[in-house]
Amino acid sequence: MPTNELAQNASPAAGEAPVLYVERATHRFGDVVALDDVSITAQRGEFLTLLGESGSGKTTLLRIIAGLERPTRIGRIAIDGADVSAIPASRRNCTTVFQHYALFPHMSVGQNIEYGLRVRGVAREKRRKRAEGVLELVRLPDKYDRRVHQLSGGERQRVALARALVTQPSILLLDEPLGALDEKLRVDMQVELKDLHEQLGLTFIYVTHSQEEALTMSDRIILLRQGRVVQQGPPQDLFDRPASRFVADFMGVENLLEGTLESVTGEIAVVRLQGHALRGIWCGPRATEPGTPVCVAVRAERVRLATEQQGFVQGANGIPCRTGATIYKGKYLDQTLETDFGPVKARIWDRDTDLSDLAYVWWREGDCAVTPLGGVGTAGVGPAPIG
Amino acid sequence: MTAAAYTSNRSSGLRDFIPRLPAGVWSLSGFSLLWFGGIVLPLLAIIVVSFLQGRGLKINFDPTILQYKRFFSYGGGEMLARSVRIAGTVTMIELLLAFPFALWLAKGCKNNTVRLLTFTALTVPFFLSPAARVIVWRSVFGINGVVNQILLGVGIVDEPVLWLIFSEFSVHFGFIGAFFPTMVWPIFLSVSLIDNDFLEASGDLGASRLRTLLHIILPLALPGIVAGFVFTFIPMLGDAVVASHMGGNNVLMLAAQVQSLIGVSNFLVAAALAAVVLAIMLAFQVLLWLALKPVGGLAGVFASLRR
Repeated sequence: MPTNELAQNASPAAGEAPVLYVERATHRFGDVVALDDVSITAQRGEFLTLLGESGSGKTTLLRIIAGLERPTRIGRIAIDGADVSAIPASRRNCTTVFQHYALFPHMSVGQNIEYGLRVRGVAREKRRKRAEGVLELVRLPDKYDRRVHQLSGGERQRVALARALVTQPSILLLDEPLGALDEKLRVDMQVELKDLHEQLGLTFIYVTHSQEEALTMSDRIILLRQGRVVQQGPPQDLFDRPASRFVADFMGVENLLEGTLESVTGEIAVVRLQGHALRGIWCGPRATEPGTPVCVAVRAERVRLATEQQGFVQGANGIPCRTGATIYKGKYLDQTLETDFGPVKARIWDRDTDLSDLAYVWWREGDCAVTPLGGVGTAGVGPAPIG
Repeated sequence: MTAAAYTSNRSSGLRDFIPRLPAGVWSLSGFSLLWFGGIVLPLLAIIVVSFLQGRGLKINFDPTILQYKRFFSYGGGEMLARSVRIAGTVTMIELLLAFPFALWLAKGCKNNTVRLLTFTALTVPFFLSPAARVIVWRSVFGINGVVNQILLGVGIVDEPVLWLIFSEFSVHFGFIGAFFPTMVWPIFLSVSLIDNDFLEASGDLGASRLRTLLHIILPLALPGIVAGFVFTFIPMLGDAVVASHMGGNNVLMLAAQVQSLIGVSNFLVAAALAAVVLAIMLAFQVLLWLALKPVGGLAGVFASLRR
């Protein structure tokens, strides 16, 4: 079975050397710095996501790993422990699933998949067997003889995956592979990719600009901005413990309230904001001076509503408010509430909430992150975006 | 005029006499009619004329193959073979020269100024009349030409080299210069259309540069290669200028011969000769069709352009 054949590294062994090292990669396009002294590693069997907006350098980093781009300056790139800095893409033990699939239009599905084996001189029958194996793996068992232009977008996506998997690389690189699919298919493919990853135990390095895709699939996320790493860690960390205002904003936190840091005691920071003292989990560097401008980041779904002061939990952040605009979103309502320091958004999931006599918004201190305003790679307006 | 107008009840007069067909059919049959009247009919006329016989100013309408007999008895067969051989050889040389050049221009050359200058250089031959650009070579390859002056001056030869002009060498040379752009252009366009992603994907999957060239670039550039072949070989068979100016009486070729026969008002043999050229071109098309069969015929060649 192809599954067993491909499942070479079924589980990431603890303490094992990383399958990928990138040390101090810098890349410039003319005057524009696309990647600025970035170092990353990937563990064997890891699903690592490079997340960032366009121009953040994520695709450039992927292309440098693949060998499709020669970095301006590089300390070391090692795959499977061997330095590949000077080795061309064709001899690196990793394959790429391209954003627009790059399936060869003059070849059938089978010929496309077998291409990597054909250039390695694998015999025709063996090629065919392996191709049929991976086609089964990506659930397209009877499409071997099809032409590429006869396939739907989702099918092309799977063929591109199969073509990249058939040579059994150490690392599979995926460059926004779901970008060209419609929304429903994208959601289905996320689940399928995750399953495939678990089944094969292969290292996936996945580039995307969608925080939702990153959260759904990744073991670890590296968030890039303007060619630098701004935060890396498991999805929960980036979601609940953003290291800067930029990360909080990028990860979709609706309420970003700016104030000054009053104190940090253990995990909890107290922030002064228009006469209110707000408490939240401190996500910035250890030694930060009181008086530093900071940001209180609360997700709309963690904001709660109350009619009187007794309505919320002791020690939570409670602020008097007036009802503002309501936006109907289908599954929920986005309710804006006017407070002393501007609008706060709350998400209302039920239809029973009475909005007429609201007096307070509140949230638990554990549901709220306090982050520095700046942070790594967030200063100033950056260079023009590079794709 | 829309198709609906033909079916409308208010349509009257002349339109009632026109069969009610969709507009697309009309424009198509219109083109077919033009093509038939403008191109096919004159060709058929040439073929008919080639089987006629003249007596003084009158034309005898009994079909005869006399003109063909005359043509072949005056060394026409040899000339025919020579014409096809030279056009074929030059076309192959053009392909070998033009493919790497087009590849460089489409994918290798990153500098837009260099590319623009190259494009301009490729169109320069068309600035001059064909005769003018060919005749320039006479002053280069002639007995007192530049090359002979240099050879004599350096002392490589004692007397002028004669085979440089009015020889098969000079005819080949003249054709190569004149028909380079017609081979480069279609190949350049088809290579330009190859998405860089395909080349990167090929390398990423483990193919060397040579394999990428063989498995990806060549098949995808095939429409351009076929077009370059057709637009180089066939006009070369029909070219009278190079052969007469560079070959003189030493290298007689079909098209030049047709022209000189018309020049002396020998229309009947000229028609027979033209019919032979036509037959060669048709035969060439059949050969091309047979040669492309393994890749799915002409349709197969262009199928690779479907994305």
